[in-house]
Amino acid sequence: MIKNILILLTGIIAFGFSQKNETITVKGSDTMVIIAQRWAELYMSKHPDVTVQVTGGGSGVGISALINGTTDICNASRPMKKSEKEKLKQRFNTLGVEIKVAKDGLAIYVRENNPVTELTLQQLKDIYTGNITNWKQVGGPDAKIIVYGRENSSGTYVYFKDNVLDSEDFAPSVQTLPGTAAVVNAVSKDKYGIGYGGEAYAKGINILKVKKDANSTAYPPTEENVKSGDYPISRYLYMYTRSRPTGVMKEYIDWILSKEGQEIVTKVGYFPVK
Amino acid sequence: MKRIIFIISLLIAVYLKAKSQDSSSVATKDEVAEVKGAVDGINETVLEMKSALDVLKKIKISGYIQAQYQVAESASIGSYAGGNFPQNVKSRFQVRRGRFKINYDNDLTQYVIQLDVTQSGVGIKDAYASIKEPWLKVATFTAGVFDRPFGFEISYSSSNRETPERSRLFQTLFPGERELGAKIELAPENGPLSYFNLKAGVFNGVLNNANETDRHKDFIGRAGFQLPFDEEGLAIDGGFSVYAGAVTANSKKINEIDNSSSNKKYKVDSTITNLGDGFDRNYYGFDLQLYYDVPVIGGATLHGEYLWGTQPGTDKSSSFYNPDAAGLSDVKSIIDGKKVTDLYLRNFNGWYINYVQNIGLKNQFIAKYDVYIPNKDVTANDIGAVGSNLNAGDIKFSTLGLGWIYHWDSNVKFVLYYDWVKNEKVNPLATSTLAPFKNDLKDNVLTLRMQYKF
Repeated sequence: MIKNILILLTGIIAFGFSQKNETITVKGSDTMVIIAQRWAELYMSKHPDVTVQVTGGGSGVGISALINGTTDICNASRPMKKSEKEKLKQRFNTLGVEIKVAKDGLAIYVRENNPVTELTLQQLKDIYTGNITNWKQVGGPDAKIIVYGRENSSGTYVYFKDNVLDSEDFAPSVQTLPGTAAVVNAVSKDKYGIGYGGEAYAKGINILKVKKDANSTAYPPTEENVKSGDYPISRYLYMYTRSRPTGVMKEYIDWILSKEGQEIVTKVGYFPVK
Repeated sequence: MKRIIFIISLLIAVYLKAKSQDSSSVATKDEVAEVKGAVDGINETVLEMKSALDVLKKIKISGYIQAQYQVAESASIGSYAGGNFPQNVKSRFQVRRGRFKINYDNDLTQYVIQLDVTQSGVGIKDAYASIKEPWLKVATFTAGVFDRPFGFEISYSSSNRETPERSRLFQTLFPGERELGAKIELAPENGPLSYFNLKAGVFNGVLNNANETDRHKDFIGRAGFQLPFDEEGLAIDGGFSVYAGAVTANSKKINEIDNSSSNKKYKVDSTITNLGDGFDRNYYGFDLQLYYDVPVIGGATLHGEYLWGTQPGTDKSSSFYNPDAAGLSDVKSIIDGKKVTDLYLRNFNGWYINYVQNIGLKNQFIAKYDVYIPNKDVTANDIGAVGSNLNAGDIKFSTLGLGWIYHWDSNVKFVLYYDWVKNEKVNPLATSTLAPFKNDLKDNVLTLRMQYKF
């Protein structure tokens, strides 16, 4: 009986190692989909033998997929939580590998003709927690603020909640939308709308300057201000793998961090890490 | 004339067209207002639905079922691989665990109920409420029925644990893993203190979910650390645990090993004041877990624990002493016309080491070795010697387990596991219930398990 078990185990190992993996699956942050697709397209055009499949869903969804073993790479616009790393340890006995691939200033969107040009972090917090509900309270017209945000599976949502709302809950009136593009689209059509999201998506709308407090200088989310830390709500964009990447996956990630890969970061509208 | 008629006709046509445009414009405005009203209505409905959905999102339902088939080396064996095999039974199907958990997670407060539904019936595993302090979000207070905060293996979920069962050591000392009580846990999320955690509580100190049976409360606590070395793909976690408790003797006869004699045996203390007195149940333990990302193959973990202390039990069992739950065959005294179980105090130690190697995404290899020495003051030859009074509860066991896990998908896994169980060979003069232990019992077990988790 033991002999049979050993034969079975040997067969399973042999089968496991015989799997040739030249398809890389990437899942996660919607903020990063725009850049991940560009990376994938360019890389596949140069490496026809490699397929890179990119899907969004949000950072939380990507991290769950990494823990469940259903994606090779997770894109995340926030760092993995301690509890998520614990789950990875339990299932795969690894800590996960964090790779910073870009930097982003979290942009605050309003419609192009909105007279408000800057906000403090406290004003943003008050708007999203429901303490400020009218534009006139922040120097705008006498009109109700229509507030747009992201779903809680989004890394941008988590980042915004942790860093702008100081972990307080979003007001129930915040309308959640399934992606950054949807937030931009909603704000571009809503005279009194406000939203937040990745810098790269900000087309056809105004981006507000943000200041730490009433006595500070307000800065736009430019590369210079994000790199210097003057823009107060900037973050890294990450890729996570379960184990230390090897083979095709390592080549792909190395390429993303190369000059060529980082040039795409700039073209898309985010900021390179190198 | 023709020209005049043409001009008048043209003017009438223009007037009529303008009039029709006016009425069409009014109609359009009405339609827009109607659509706006409908959209506002939908918005209100959506907001209501969102409020309801936000509440529902706080309810998290999860669970798992472990269905298994087991083959024992011989019929009717006592086993720690899912419980003893009944009389004449050598193989069996079981629903080893059928968990259904409801968690209402209101961010800083939680309500948790977990049921265990198996062929034996329905039992409560967890029933607790917890509150996190809102300022630093570091301290959590929990009260109810939950895992005892000791060591590593107790709180390592059965659904994630690679081996089918916990080690004999933990099954003996912490049956059911849970206990009724209250605890405080400190676990900073960020900063240098995030590498450390502390949990400690006060418990009834009886058995899993059982009602309190004596006047003593037990203290259980663990101070732990987690050190990640991300660059090296290595993590080292560990902790030191203490269990400081006592049991109430319901017999005046307290048995302890007489260390003054060269022939180790129990001596009985029958002082009448022993009755109702409290006797120590003290455990101490170290646990350590190493995680290492083996290039190409996958992650590996090596974890182990070492425990020692004093355990009150009965003559036949070194398991958790509970006067109400003592076995019928345990030695009894008569107090006020009632049979009561005599107390046996043992100094124990034990340890286990567990290695798991991930092989790619789907497979895991497992090897585990555990040793439980219920009475470290005696040797195998003392047990069964004439006049020693040493019994089955004093025999050392070691178990080597080897297994394989295949993860079918993210919900389903299959486990194939074999336990080689070795007992000490007791004194050749042993008789009666100790006689079988003169040889190694044929009590190995093969387990084939399927688990579905959601």
